[in-house]
Amino acid sequence: MRNKRGWFAVPYVVWMALFVVIPILIMAVYAVTTADPATGELQLTGANFTGMGVYLNVFLRSFWLAVVATLVCLLIGYPVSYWMAKEGPRFQRLAMALIMLPMWMNFLLRTYSWMSILENNGLLNQLFRAIGLLDLLGVDYLHMIGTPGAVVLGMVYNYLPFMILPIYSVIVKLDGSLIEAARDLGADGVRVFRRVIFPLSLPGILSGVTMVFVPSVSTFAISSLLGGGKQTMLGDLIELQFLGGAYNPHLGAAISMVMMVIVVVCMVVMNHFGEGEEQAVML
Amino acid sequence: MRQSNRIGGRIFIGLTFLFLYLPIFLLIIFSFNAGESSAVWQGFSLDWYAALFRNRLIMESLYTTLLVSLLATVVATAAGTFAAIGLYALSKRKRDALLVVNDIPMMNADIVTGVSLCLFFVAFFQGWGAFARWFNGVQGVVALPERLVLGFTTMLLAHIAFDIPYVILNVAPKLRQMDRNLVDAAQDLGCTWMQAFWRVILPEIKPGIVSGALIAFTMSIDDFVISYFTAGSSTSTLAMRIYSMTKKRITPEVNAVSTLLFLSVLALLVLNNVREIRQERRAASLEPRAPTLLEKLSMKFNQPAYRWVRRGLAGAMACAFLVVVVLLTGATGSQPVVNVCSWGEYIDESLIEQFEDETGIRVNYQTAESNEALYSLLKSGGADYDVIVPSDYMISQLLEEGMLEELDYSRIPNFELIDRRFRNLPYDPENKYTVPYTWGTLGLIYNANMVEEEPVSWGALYDDQYAGDVLLINNSRDALAAALLHLGYSVNTTDEEEIREAFALIADASRRGVFQGKVMDQVFQKMEGGNAALAAYYAGDYLSMLDNQADGVDLRYVIPEEGANWFVDAMCVLKDTPHYDEALEWINFIASTDANLANMDYIWYASPNTEALERYPAYYEELYGEELDPELYEIMAAPPEVLERCEMYSVLPPETRALYNELWIRLGA
Repeated sequence: MRNKRGWFAVPYVVWMALFVVIPILIMAVYAVTTADPATGELQLTGANFTGMGVYLNVFLRSFWLAVVATLVCLLIGYPVSYWMAKEGPRFQRLAMALIMLPMWMNFLLRTYSWMSILENNGLLNQLFRAIGLLDLLGVDYLHMIGTPGAVVLGMVYNYLPFMILPIYSVIVKLDGSLIEAARDLGADGVRVFRRVIFPLSLPGILSGVTMVFVPSVSTFAISSLLGGGKQTMLGDLIELQFLGGAYNPHLGAAISMVMMVIVVVCMVVMNHFGEGEEQAVML
Repeated sequence: MRQSNRIGGRIFIGLTFLFLYLPIFLLIIFSFNAGESSAVWQGFSLDWYAALFRNRLIMESLYTTLLVSLLATVVATAAGTFAAIGLYALSKRKRDALLVVNDIPMMNADIVTGVSLCLFFVAFFQGWGAFARWFNGVQGVVALPERLVLGFTTMLLAHIAFDIPYVILNVAPKLRQMDRNLVDAAQDLGCTWMQAFWRVILPEIKPGIVSGALIAFTMSIDDFVISYFTAGSSTSTLAMRIYSMTKKRITPEVNAVSTLLFLSVLALLVLNNVREIRQERRAASLEPRAPTLLEKLSMKFNQPAYRWVRRGLAGAMACAFLVVVVLLTGATGSQPVVNVCSWGEYIDESLIEQFEDETGIRVNYQTAESNEALYSLLKSGGADYDVIVPSDYMISQLLEEGMLEELDYSRIPNFELIDRRFRNLPYDPENKYTVPYTWGTLGLIYNANMVEEEPVSWGALYDDQYAGDVLLINNSRDALAAALLHLGYSVNTTDEEEIREAFALIADASRRGVFQGKVMDQVFQKMEGGNAALAAYYAGDYLSMLDNQADGVDLRYVIPEEGANWFVDAMCVLKDTPHYDEALEWINFIASTDANLANMDYIWYASPNTEALERYPAYYEELYGEELDPELYEIMAAPPEVLERCEMYSVLPPETRALYNELWIRLGA
């Protein structure tokens, strides 16, 4: 019987090979080749990788902005999850629904709403003008759109639910008797949090960090809408090579490969700290 | 102390929700705005909802979004559940190895998944094309399609591919928790395996399947990046439509569609919550309750005697589903179609409807951001276009690479109306491939209320005086042309030193913070709203902006003293198009005097049609009851003495293009 059901997995193995493994292999082939402009034939080359040095700034900026966005998400997301888990079940269910709800509107809609808020003549600047803040500072407007801050804001806004959900799902399942035991053994509130609650919620944090960091580091829509095209990130660079103004899929594939490898290494190192703790799944 | 902690916690949660919802509420509020602004309230109206339902592009993309998400969810849930059951029948070692592969699409950045799938599909299409040509060559019975392109099917496959892992991840824990002996017990008691599956396994893992399906649906509907890379040019999800809209003028129709989406999701959630609360109450009271009619029916239905009815019904439902899918794809497939790719705000859209009514040919109208982006789309195999409207230098480049089809001018009688000045131009010396669409100049647009003195030189674009208020045009050719002209060089120079010098001029200004951003059609919003002071852009677009200026904005247009670029955009047909006849009909229709007049009036670009050019001032007067300002007419259709100061782009050699690309990308880095 066991073996019989094992056949159920075969179509999926074929599927994965076709739509997961082979595409990545094709991408790898693109990354190490270049097309002859005259004949279109592929030639093996390492130039796609060696020439990437000029984009070092883009790599650094992407990782830096993603790290900042992830930290901000963690700083907001952890307390929210923690306090949410202490509320009654009705409150919790409502709060969960409210956190998930914006995700069913596409994230571009959410990003777009920030555009009209942050513009030089946008809502926020109008508000500042109305309360006299702009006169106080002696400027026509505060320059917000097109700055790294706006990009980070867009990331935090879009990906915050990805931080809250896994952390919350771990904290809510925390065994209350462990906390009681710690208290009985004389630990104060801070100590209980530091020695019991926090370590136990680490798997949630790790998967939250992954779920925020990966989309942040690779985003291109957020940076192009809120960054005004000036905060070029890895995603923009890749998009530019495929569908944007500079057609070079070989370079695009090479950048994608490098980004993938760096992200995977980051994740492996980070999960190492989690001691292979079973990853929390959202919901 | 505890109480205060709790209140503090609630305040923090409340603030977080405010942060999450305030932008959405603003989006909703401005969907009821009477004006077009998304920042200035001009009174209540429902106009944008009416406009939304009339907007075919948005409605189609909404439909595509829902269809792809639902189909992907259904397929991925079924496939993922079976795969998970299969995985749990394997040994732990095999299972763990496969689960690692399963994690790849979830761990990978969306853009990597999107790019790799895009390359995979394109490689497959190439292989398929070769196979189909060979196959069609050796036999004549079955004709296989030789040219496949990215579209709805590839996008659906991509969605299924990234949805399945989420389903597996949710079903797997339930399988792990399930007591394996249950199935054995059921079978010992005489169940077939199928019965054991339906009666034992499925109820056990149902919560996992439901949450897996839910997450798959959420991921599908929230996705933009993977769709963007795998949908090609002819299919758009709502997100893709909005992304292309944000690059030009974005109208409150988008707010309206967001509001409707938000409200429908909210309604679903509320319903679900109410249902759950009821169930809980019932469970708590433990009151036996009379079965409802539906439950009675289902109880009856579950008796073995009704097995065949059950199976028949399931089969009928599956068939109906298939029929709907086939009909949907067939309905769009049977009608003659022409796929047109042009630029943003570059046609009077009523012309499309008029053409469709007259000919019965459906127009699939798409836009690209720039000549360079169009070229990328064509090269990456994602484009499904028949007619494109590139500019002069890009036409040369496409011709060089043999990507355009010769036109049968006997079937474009309206070509006779094209002014001699716009025929046999350097990009198509024998005029075998092109029919001009519009022509115009690239000049300097400025807001007179934001500059100290009227700029007369391209140098204003790099002037610290306007730091933060200058928009850099987001395509390398035009951006560099302004810099080259300012330095006194030709726009067609191939001298590396000159090009590097011009780039240095731009890069230096960029470092000093002169530019507010790199934009193409976003320039409309920015300049009209007084969000920027200066931009290099096209004459026709300047004239459109005049119609939409906000209060306190006074836009002017000048051809700088160093001279400028003049261009012709022309319609061409791509090689091997399957819709050659329809494409010629479209070109002939657009080249007619009436269409040119309508277009001139709508997009404010000068027409190459002699009659239309002459008749336009009279046409304007008739339409609006006032005389056309001769100054504006001169900006639209530059007189010969102005054109003399302007230079047309010619195609650059590949090395120079590579240099442009490299320097241009580095500019943002």
